[in-house]
Amino acid sequence: MSIPAEKLTQYDEYVEALDLLDEESRFEYIIDIGKRADKTPFPSDCMDDVHLMHGCMSKVWIVHEVVDGVHEFRGQSDAIIVKGLVSMMTGSFSGLTSDELAAVTLDQVRGLNLGALTMQRQVGMMAMLKHMQKLSQRAENGADRSAAAE
Amino acid sequence: MTDLAQDLARAAKHHNLEAGFDVERIRQDFPILSREVHGKPLVYFDSGASAQKPRAVIDAMVEVMENEYTNVHRGAHYLSQTLTDRYEGVRETIARFINAGSENEIVITRNTTEAINLVAATYGRKFLSKGDGVVISDMEHHANIVPWQMLRDEIGIELKIAPIDDRGVLDLDAYGDLLDQNTKLVAMTHCSNVLGTVVPAAEIVRMAHDRGIPVLLDGSQAVVHSKVDVQALDADFYVFTGHKLYGPTAIGVLYGKAELLAQMPPYQGGGDMIATVTYDKTTYAEPPYRFEAGTPPIIEAIGLGAAIDYVSAIGMDAIQTHESALLAYGMERLGEMPDIKLFGTAPEKAAIFSFIQEGIHPFDTAATLDRAGVATRVGQHCAEPLMARLGVDGTVRASLAMYNTTAEIDVMIAALERARALFG
Ligand SMILES: Cc1ncc(COP(=O)(O)O)c(C=O)c1O
Repeated sequence: MSIPAEKLTQYDEYVEALDLLDEESRFEYIIDIGKRADKTPFPSDCMDDVHLMHGCMSKVWIVHEVVDGVHEFRGQSDAIIVKGLVSMMTGSFSGLTSDELAAVTLDQVRGLNLGALTMQRQVGMMAMLKHMQKLSQRAENGADRSAAAE
Repeated sequence: MTDLAQDLARAAKHHNLEAGFDVERIRQDFPILSREVHGKPLVYFDSGASAQKPRAVIDAMVEVMENEYTNVHRGAHYLSQTLTDRYEGVRETIARFINAGSENEIVITRNTTEAINLVAATYGRKFLSKGDGVVISDMEHHANIVPWQMLRDEIGIELKIAPIDDRGVLDLDAYGDLLDQNTKLVAMTHCSNVLGTVVPAAEIVRMAHDRGIPVLLDGSQAVVHSKVDVQALDADFYVFTGHKLYGPTAIGVLYGKAELLAQMPPYQGGGDMIATVTYDKTTYAEPPYRFEAGTPPIIEAIGLGAAIDYVSAIGMDAIQTHESALLAYGMERLGEMPDIKLFGTAPEKAAIFSFIQEGIHPFDTAATLDRAGVATRVGQHCAEPLMARLGVDGTVRASLAMYNTTAEIDVMIAALERARALFG
């Protein structure tokens, strides 16, 4: 399954920007994205245990909805850098179908960091992707069930 | 000069014993300290998690694998005999290092965690029963909480928590109150891995012994920063881990008084821990072997022996003096920063700084330090209950060691200023 290029424009934009920067500037770029994320406030009532992603060193919340058959995500974190990373993740990989989302690769996720942070494991971008994939699958299965019930 | 005088002069110069403690010389003994991270010189402030290794340790381990390696305690051949002697020699080195009464009081374990689990599983199961109390402090590492909780869930002991004040100082009066008739064991950290607090260990032991209660001290952090004398402390059990003491991973130490070890049942079963085995009956070896089932960490033991020789040659007192200067300087510099909230301001403490920058998530602070080459730890430091006591989700922890310098503290301070500019 490959993802249509036009669905990854936001992702490509991030990767291109990061590519042009040296490591130090990438670090600041991610922080900038984290700060800018606050301009569209994350619903504070969603910063709860239901939307909390487990296993991160900082708290990460992800909300999800299905719009016209594709998955839309928004993310939040109490650490600004992680907010930047989760914003890049949700910005990059929203608007995909479940199958497309399942096709996102580890290398693609790595492209959104490019060595700016050595704490990849703690930051858990792969865990974010897995979480988003899980949410999409769960919605899919839920939809199947309600379709079957109709 | 005679050859001997020359050698001594060189040795003295090497560790700069005459001129006192020469940190630059010591740094040269640690190969990793010359590397860079993100294009900046590595500033390693995570020794509380695990310390770096001097060349002497690395060489000793390589040398044993290249020239002397075999199993110990088993072979009827030259290598086995010489390596067994060396391995057992390390037990004596460890005994001397903490001034144990005999090398037979030194049990080799995998780490502190295993040493505490060993005591809980053997001493605990044999001598504790339902309703008995075990006193720990409010600043324990999970390694000194969870084994006792498991025992609680298994046999119904009660865990009692000795409180600390806001500086991280143990409340001795409250501790004394917990030493009631039900209390059958005290298990306490000698030095907090988060706050750096050094507890008055001799006093803690004396108070417990007045009521006939034995004491286990978790010396994981304490042995690294100062001279420990288990007989002077009169500790019944003393545990520590090799990798924080500039030695390798996967080796730790349980010191236990001979009369206690003698009464304890084995921990794990297998080779090396037996006297005789038939299908009907097995008799167990005497301590310490009774507690060392299976092939021991041979190479690691050689490494730990080299680490102890290394710190002993420098002198624990000299190390403590140097680290005290780092502590004073760090407390002063951090104290000057209005946005830094420090946790752990006990008068008796090791060079461990736990802090947050007001309004900045510790992760953001630590990531900025990392960019500057400064390695710290962020989070709960395996001490969740302590974090709850302090009322924080986590802190940044800079834990220093003998090879750190005041100039490195300056690098950290500059990076903290950058974090303020980036996130403030
Ligand atoms: C005070 C204290 N106790 C116990 C431990 C556990 O040591 P280890 O993981 O080597 O068993 C540590 C190290 O993290 C520690 O600092």
